[in-house]
This record gives sequence, structure tokens and C-alpha cells, in this order.
Amino acid sequence: MRNKLAIVLTLLLMVVLYSCANTNSIPRVHPENVGHAIPDCTECHTNSWGALNHRAPDFMGKHRFYAGTARQTCRSCHQEDFCTECHTRKDEFKPSEKLSDEPLRTLPHRGDYLSQHKIDGRINPVSCVKCHGRQNNERCALCHH
Amino acid sequence: MKRNHTKKNSCTGMLVLGAGTALLASTLLWTAPLMAYDYSFSGESTTLLRMRTTVDKKSLLPLYDYLRLTMTDIRSDGSSVDFYLGAWGRTDLVDKIGDKTADGDLQYAYLTYRAPKNNSTVSVGRQFITEGVATERIDGLYLRNDFAYGIGASAYVGNTVLTQPLATGTSSSYQAGTVVYGGRISQENKKYYTVGLSALKSKYDGGDVFREETGIDLWVHPVEKVDLGGHSNYNYLTKGWMEHSYYLSYAPVSTVRLGTEYANVNLKDYLANVTTSALTYLNPVLKANKSQDVIGATAAYTGIKNVTLTADLKRYNYDQSGQAFSYGGKAVYSLPDDYSVGCTLHRMDGGADLLRYMEYRAFATKKIGHYDVTIDATDVTYDKQQIGITDSFAVTGAVGYEVNHKLKLAADVEYSQSPEFSNEYRGLVKATYTFDTKHVAEGGTKSEK
Ligand code: HEC
Ligand code: HEC
Ligand code: HEC
Ligand code: HEC
Ligand code: HEC
Repeated sequence: MRNKLAIVLTLLLMVVLYSCANTNSIPRVHPENVGHAIPDCTECHTNSWGALNHRAPDFMGKHRFYAGTARQTCRSCHQEDFCTECHTRKDEFKPSEKLSDEPLRTLPHRGDYLSQHKIDGRINPVSCVKCHGRQNNERCALCHH
Repeated sequence: MKRNHTKKNSCTGMLVLGAGTALLASTLLWTAPLMAYDYSFSGESTTLLRMRTTVDKKSLLPLYDYLRLTMTDIRSDGSSVDFYLGAWGRTDLVDKIGDKTADGDLQYAYLTYRAPKNNSTVSVGRQFITEGVATERIDGLYLRNDFAYGIGASAYVGNTVLTQPLATGTSSSYQAGTVVYGGRISQENKKYYTVGLSALKSKYDGGDVFREETGIDLWVHPVEKVDLGGHSNYNYLTKGWMEHSYYLSYAPVSTVRLGTEYANVNLKDYLANVTTSALTYLNPVLKANKSQDVIGATAAYTGIKNVTLTADLKRYNYDQSGQAFSYGGKAVYSLPDDYSVGCTLHRMDGGADLLRYMEYRAFATKKIGHYDVTIDATDVTYDKQQIGITDSFAVTGAVGYEVNHKLKLAADVEYSQSPEFSNEYRGLVKATYTFDTKHVAEGGTKSEK
């Protein structure tokens, strides 16, 4: 009985919240063409979107937080293929191999990574888990059983 | 045995999905002129041929193709339906890589409806979900909507999309769940903050729980110059906090940007549901009972025209290898779409021999008419010898040629000298072809077509 009441009340609240909602969706495509260079959002936005400034030196470290709270916004400029260059389930190219003509990008694993990974993997294994923890690990299994 | 079986199943599944998609794509393409909507179809195919010789002198010549398709239907009420697909495949022209002469992956394939109001979204198919505690690729359903008072909610349910090379014949610790679901509820004030609460649960076929996690996230921007955010994630199965990760960025003037970050991770909780053997708490090297702290700071100065100067510092405190400091800087001179040069220099200073080295990188890229030329070199010199070698060096040269705005050709050569490969050359040729039924004059970046 109590459970039922709680469910009914929650549904009712949802309906009220739903019918009173009135925000404009983030545009499907960002209204201004920002080109292909890494953008400085503060050039055009003085509001909170400026925080997503991609030129900030710590943006790469922070993009995961923004992706988890404001993914709609990313979608207005990035299709999924963009994220998939680095966030793959299974791939045989390092991002830096596919994007060898974009040295300004902050790509993981530049250079000879088979040597360096033994060091990075010990010092910060948590960062590797994000991409290799449950996926993109078929190659690792060749040496790590 | 069982593994082969499931592999086969997923391959057939993929083929069916691929064929279905191709069929859907072609029907949509042919019926396109009949539809009254603002409809477009575009895609990109990148073909790559890789050339290399393995340590045992096998020459490998794998041929790859990466395909991206987008179908868009914008309705007069401002709503839209899009279909996105990304996939790659490989065939080996000479010796085979591993035990298969062909391989591939369906990276994403989903249909998404977006309404002009309240960010209402419905997406079905294989997609990459990032909602608070969840960063998951699923075959399933994703919903999101904004409600009144700045409240927003999202939910997803589906099959997990993972790779499990060690799943059979090994300990169950290397096996992942098959279904995953969860969601996030948030409340925001566009001007000042967003707070979120998210949860995720993943189960095995039998109903046993594989993962159960919850997270709180925060994004605060009280004034234009300050931005603070982060999250704390909790693991219900190990009854412990997986991580607390926060950052603070500050731009005192438009030419100076400062950032700090702090992360505290409990390895026993964070690595509990990882299935890659090197990264599980079962790897004795990683000492699961310990925690790890990372503190970092960055600064950038853009006061000189076309120049960006950056400095960064990180301190790792990890009971396994003691403390380590990494610090360095980067200088870049760049005229966008024309010419860029840059160099970076980093020092790693830690307790263990392995953790004392210098890393240098230098690069330059230039556009000359229809050509672009890039050179990029990285060198790591270790204070003490590693496996008889004190140096690891790699340099890549790349040339691209834009035949027309639909076709681009490129070739790369990489030379490396390292503890793993004494001397190695690798080559790559690449052709990128873009196609569309109609040119839509809309914004976005290269990756939004
Ligand atoms: C060249 C100028 C320019 C740059 C650079 C730019 N934007 Fe925009 N942006 C605009 C314009 C113009 C609009 C449409 C007017 C508006 O809504 O402010 C817009 C709109 C938006 C919107 C939709 C506004 C809303 O509240 O619904 C978002 C979100 C957004 N931009 C995010 C960003 C982010 C994030 C960046 C940096 C990665 C960025 N923009 C870089 C010019 C720019
Ligand atoms: C206004 C458009 C715009 C928006 C909104 C936007 N980006 Fe970007 N982003 C770009 C452009 C342009 C680049 C340059 C690279 C390119 O397109 O090839 C880029 C690059 C990046 C990179 C790579 C940076 C590097 O140095 O390699 C990441 C990661 C990224 N974006 C993540 C995000 C995330 C996450 C969001 C949402 C929170 C987001 N972006 C929103 C336009 C945008
Ligand atoms: C240039 C490579 C690159 C691109 C492109 C990229 N990311 Fe990331 N992403 C990373 C790296 C590296 C990390 C790990 C950062 C760390 O160590 O904290 C990461 C981490 C993340 C995480 C956290 C994962 C976890 O398990 O905690 C999310 C979420 C994320 N990225 C979302 C995105 C989205 C969404 C896009 C596309 C808009 C994107 N990323 C594009 C490199 C990239
Ligand atoms: C943003 C996602 C991402 C992160 C974070 C990441 N990797 Fe990778 N890594 C990739 C991708 C994509 C590849 C290319 C696919 C492949 O070769 O299997 C790759 C390849 C590799 C390779 C093969 C390199 C080679 O030269 O063939 C190693 C080893 C590796 N990663 C180790 C690590 C370690 C150790 C960490 C943590 C310090 C890490 N990775 C973090 C995405 C990531
Ligand atoms: C060519 C063989 C090879 C491949 C492929 C490989 N590793 Fe390793 N890895 C090693 C060796 C050797 C070590 C050093 C082991 C030691 O020092 O005891 C190592 C060390 C590590 C470490 C540090 C912890 C430890 O056990 O020493 C991590 C983490 C790691 N690898 C992750 C990965 C990941 C993730 C991948 C796949 C993306 C990968 N490795 C692929 C050979 C490889």
C-alpha cells in the first residue's frame, strides 16, 4: 500500500515536472562553424560555456567530467566517431597513427609505447583502466595472461 | 570452446547488423527524393594500408577500411532523426596477424530522435554513453529529458559491448557482465552550477551482479573566471569509494589560465571489476590494498601573438613505487591552417630506476597548396639502462595531398629505435573519401557532418 502510494506520488510529480518543463534543446549542430582548429570557447561565450574552453591546458584532463554532465553539448560539435578515435572497444591503431597529421592534438601513446607503457602502467594504472579495463585488451592478452 | 561459440554468434550478429544497415541505408537513399523532409546522407571511408616487419621477419600488409555514415532527417517542427554508423574491417594481404586473417568491429550504430524542447532524446542501437559514473558502450536504449526547476534525467539499458580475450579457461575475475543499466538525475542553474547523482548496475546472464556503482558529480562556475568540478564514485560490491576526482580552473586574465587537479583512488575498489589481467587487483605489481593520489597543476600563457606556453606538474603518490614527480613544459607557435611548430620537454623523477627519465618531443606541420607535411619526433632517455638500452626514439613523417574536397591521400613513415624493437621502419598509406547526397550549410566541426 505504502509502496503503491509512493509510486503514484512519484509519477504525479514526474508529470508535473514534465509538463512545466520548458527549456530549449541544445542545438543539434553548433550554430557557428568553429572550424577544425582546437577552439577557444571564451572567444565567443562569456557565459558558463566558456568553461569548456578546449585551449585550456587542463582541458584534456577535464573533458571526462564535462562529458559526464553535458554530453548533449559535445554532440552539437562531435559525432561519436570523434570520441571513438580514442575510446574504442577494439582497434588496431593508436590514435596518433590515424591522426599523424595533427601534431597539435593531445593524443595518448605517442612514440614507442610498448616500452613506455610498462612505466606509465605502474605509475598510473587507473588512467589505463578507462580505455583498456574491460575492452580494447585483445593485444594486452598476447603478453599479459 | 564456449568462447569460439560466442565469438561466432557476435560475428553473425555483426554481419546481420551490417547487412541490415546497408539495406536501410540504400532504401533511405533511394526513397530520399520522395520524402518531404530536410533529409541528408553523408559518409566517409578511410582506407589504410599498413606495412611492417615483425621481430621474426614476417612482413605484414594488413588493409583496413573505416566507414562512417550519417543519415539526417530534420523535420519542420525542429525535431530531428539521425542515424549514425561507424565500423572498421581488416584483411591481411600477406602474412596474417595473430590467428585470424580478417577482423573488424562495429563501433557504433544508432538511431536517435531529438526534440527541439527539453533536450528530449531517444537513442536506440550501439552507442557510447557518458552519464556520471557510467562510461559504457551499450547495445540498447538511451533516454534523456529536462524537467522543470532545472531538473534533468537520463536512463539507459542494454547489453554490454566489451572484449574479453581471457574470459574462458581463466578465473571468473576476468569475466564481465552481459547487461548494464542505470541513469543520472541532475539539477542545474545554467548560470552557476550543475549537481548530479548517477548509478549503474551490470549483471551476468545468471543474474549475479558484476558491477554496482553510484556517483555524485558537481560542476560549479560561480563567476566567469572560475570553474570547479569533479566526481566521487562508490562501489557497492566492495563497499568502498573508488575515486574522488576534482579540479579547479582559474583564468585571472584572458591570457593566463591556471588549473589544478586532485584524484584519490582506492585500487581495491577501482580495479575490482576490471577484466584485463594486467590491470586487475590480481596483478601483484599493483598492490590492491593501497590507494593512489595524484595532484597536478597546469599554467598556460597566451600573451604573445600565435604563441602558447604551457607548464605542468604532477605528483603521483602511490605506495607501490613511492612518490614520483613529473614536470615539464610545452611551447607552440601556430598559424592555424597554415603552419605550426612546437616542442615539449618532460622530466619524470621517481624512487625507482624506471621512474627517472627525460622525454622530449618536437613537431612541425605546414600546408603548401594542396599538400600538408608533418614531422613529429619523440625521444625518451632513461637515467639508468633499461634492458641494455638507455634511449627510445621514434620519428614519424607524414605527407597529405588533397586531390579535391572529397578525396584526400596521405602517406606516413615511422622509424623507431627502442628496447622493444632495435630498429624499425613502418609505413602507412591512407585514402579518405567523403560523400554526401546534399551539401548542408551548417556549423559544427569537421567531425559533425
Ligand atoms: C566563433 C564563435 C564561437 C566559438 C569559438 C564557440 N561558439 Fe558556441 N555559439 C556561438 C554562437 C554565435 C552561438 C549561438 C548564439 C548563442 O546561443 O549564444 C553559440 C551557441 C552555443 C551553444 C548553444 C547555446 C545554448 O545555450 O543553447 C552552446 C552549448 C555552445 N555554443 C557551446 C560552445 C562551446 C563548448 C564552445 C567551445 C568548444 C563554443 N561554443 C565555441 C559562437 C561560438
Ligand atoms: C563548439 C564546438 C565544440 C563543442 C561544443 C565541443 N567541442 Fe570538443 N573540439 C572541437 C573542435 C573544433 C576540436 C578540434 C579537433 C577536431 O575537430 O578535429 C575539439 C577537440 C576536442 C578534443 C581533443 C582535444 C585534443 O587536444 O586532442 C576533445 C577530447 C574534445 N574536443 C572533447 C569535447 C567534449 C567532451 C565536449 C563536450 C563537453 C566537447 N568537446 C564540446 C569543438 C567542440
Ligand atoms: C584525443 C583522445 C581522446 C578523445 C578524442 C576523446 N577522449 Fe575521452 N579520454 C581520453 C583520455 C586520455 C582519457 C583518460 C583521462 C584520464 O586519465 O583521466 C579519457 C577519459 C574519458 C572519460 C572518463 C572515462 C572513465 O572511465 O572514467 C569520458 C567519460 C570521456 N573520456 C568521454 C569522451 C567523449 C564523450 C569524447 C568525445 C566527445 C571523448 N572522450 C574524446 C582521450 C580522449
Ligand atoms: C583514451 C583511451 C586510452 C587510454 C587512457 C589508454 N590507452 Fe592504451 N591504447 C588506446 C588505443 C585506442 C590503442 C590502440 C589499439 C591497440 O593497439 O590495441 C592503445 C594501445 C595501447 C598499447 C599498444 C601500443 C602499441 O605501440 O602498439 C599499449 C601497450 C597501451 N595502449 C597501454 C596503455 C597503458 C599502460 C595506459 C595507461 C597508462 C593506456 N594504454 C591508456 C587507448 C587508450
Ligand atoms: C609486447 C608485450 C606487451 C603487450 C602487447 C602489452 N604489455 Fe603491458 N607489459 C609488458 C611487460 C614486459 C611489462 C613489464 C612487466 C614487469 O616489469 O614485470 C608490462 C607492464 C605493464 C603494466 C605495469 C604493471 C606490471 O604488471 O608491470 C601495465 C599496467 C600494463 N603492462 C598494461 C598493459 C595494457 C593495458 C596492454 C594492452 C593495451 C599491455 N600492457 C600490452 C608487455 C606487454
